[in-house]
Amino acid sequence: MERLVRIVDLRVYYDLPQGAVKAVDGVDLDVIKGEILGIAGESGSGKSTLALAVTGLLRPPARVASGKVLFNGVDLLKLSNDELRKIRGSKIGMIFQDPNTYLNPLYTVGFQVGEVFESHRGGPIGKYLNDVIALFKSVRIADPERRVNAYPHHMSGGMKQRVLISMAVAEKPELIVADEPTSALDVTVQAEIIELLNEIREGMKTSLIFITHDLALLMEIADRVAIMYAGKLVEVGSTNEVVREPLHPYTKALLSSLRYERKRRLTSIKGSIPSLINPPNGCRFHPRCPYALPKCSQLEPNLIDVGGRVVSCFLVGG
Amino acid sequence: MSLVRYLCKRVYHSIPTFIGALLFMFILVRVLPGDPARLIAGPEALEQDVERIREQLGLNKPLHEQFVDYVVTLIRGDLGKSIKFRTPVINEVLARLPYTVALAFVAEAIAIAVALPLGIISALRPNSKLTYVTSVLSLLGASAPTFWVALMFIYIFSVNLRILPSSGADSPRHIILPAATLSLLLMGNLTRITRSSVIEALNSNHILTAIAKGLRERAILMRHVLKNSMIPIVTLMGLQIGSLLGGAIITETVYAWPGIGSLLIDSIFFRDYTLIQGIILFIVLAFIVINIVVDVIYAFIDPRIRDLLWRTG
Repeated sequence: MERLVRIVDLRVYYDLPQGAVKAVDGVDLDVIKGEILGIAGESGSGKSTLALAVTGLLRPPARVASGKVLFNGVDLLKLSNDELRKIRGSKIGMIFQDPNTYLNPLYTVGFQVGEVFESHRGGPIGKYLNDVIALFKSVRIADPERRVNAYPHHMSGGMKQRVLISMAVAEKPELIVADEPTSALDVTVQAEIIELLNEIREGMKTSLIFITHDLALLMEIADRVAIMYAGKLVEVGSTNEVVREPLHPYTKALLSSLRYERKRRLTSIKGSIPSLINPPNGCRFHPRCPYALPKCSQLEPNLIDVGGRVVSCFLVGG
Repeated sequence: MSLVRYLCKRVYHSIPTFIGALLFMFILVRVLPGDPARLIAGPEALEQDVERIREQLGLNKPLHEQFVDYVVTLIRGDLGKSIKFRTPVINEVLARLPYTVALAFVAEAIAIAVALPLGIISALRPNSKLTYVTSVLSLLGASAPTFWVALMFIYIFSVNLRILPSSGADSPRHIILPAATLSLLLMGNLTRITRSSVIEALNSNHILTAIAKGLRERAILMRHVLKNSMIPIVTLMGLQIGSLLGGAIITETVYAWPGIGSLLIDSIFFRDYTLIQGIILFIVLAFIVINIVVDVIYAFIDPRIRDLLWRTG
């Protein structure tokens, strides 16, 4: 198993007047070549910040406090702006949450996709018309010859997301980071987009980081899942194992809130995600954890390896 | 040819605006105290002479008849004769027009040349010294009274340095001081609106897409930031040019610039009804035309507006 990305002890803070928000606080995570890695967590767990850090898209007040993001062995956080620019869009593609606001309303979609080729191969955008049409065909945009001249407001949300996906895959990247790519879409369109992403992974042997709050979605698509809580990873493992036998109480709670059985009430996790300016001592989940031990509020559990997957909980092997 | 059809529609729709403005100023001018017939005849003239002049000018008729007469001659393309100069109003206006148009466009051009770069730079580098200096200067420019700025300019450049003429319009150099005075007034607002709309465009989500696809910084700025921030800037430019074409009365007066503004002031003092009407007619026309031009520019910038204006109705 060859590793494409190694995230080492990554810490990303948002400097606000009230203090530093520790959105990502010491995350170690690998992405294996060709896999779909799902990252799940509640909103505010730091998963989107992680995605932005991997693609070098953090903007102030966000700041990388420490850590490395190694991509093919090169630390992305140490690259100059121009070196990073050459990797973005060619080696790493990014797909965002809301297709309606991530396209510029003033340019045709063909032009905006053509800009990817222009940026990495040079020359006028008009030269790449046929490439864009071919790309649109590959992401199943109907009538691509006509669609290249359409403006974003002529298109549905699902169609716009296909345009954004075509942009991300244009240069056949080694890694695609998709941040909640389907949460702004209808359920039926969602299924189509998931299918498309799966196809792309198969066809291009690319790795995909899929970020979502929807664990059910990850069960369908991800090879491995990483569960995030309050800026830290709590459990990482193959999707099958994690779903069949979750080890961390937070993963258990997430899964049980998902498993709807007849005659039983939907269960929810009590409480809400803690402040990331002053996170709780010890294990960050302990205030909401039904199994919390006295030491959980004092000591921070490390990620430990339990037969091929990692968990940070004193109840497991500790 | 949807653009042509759109323009025809707009011209057609501005007829009521035009007539409304016409009626409004026709009444307003006559409500002013003072009597042009008396002013022509002189203070010692006999009442019957004044009455005869009134008759000649048609001022003895009821107001509604006067208005109908005016509109009828207007439809024939005749703006009437100036009461004071006894020459066709159109000649008077056309003689002054080039000066006002030149002053308006030179002043706006100076303002744009200074304000756009300053606004853009201060949006991109919010903490630089230049940004600080810019915000102080734009506040000063917007709040300093025009007549004071004009006098200061004359004092510095004409009296002390003796490098620029202080009044008249005999050479191209004469336009420099009045245009600079006016542009100072325009710059402040233009800088602020540029800064805020560039900041708004920078923070849009589609800029993240542009960065994520590896687009060069220059292309991001030129295509995705500047074009997206143009709408408010163009709006303000339109308003500014519109009000400048109405005559910069104070500036034209201080610099003795022979434009529409100083002509309007003179004609109001003399109660020259037909001339006032002719000038205001032109100002109304200028605003209507500029509004249409600005809307067409919107449509060229934004395809959503294009669809709205040209495809529907």
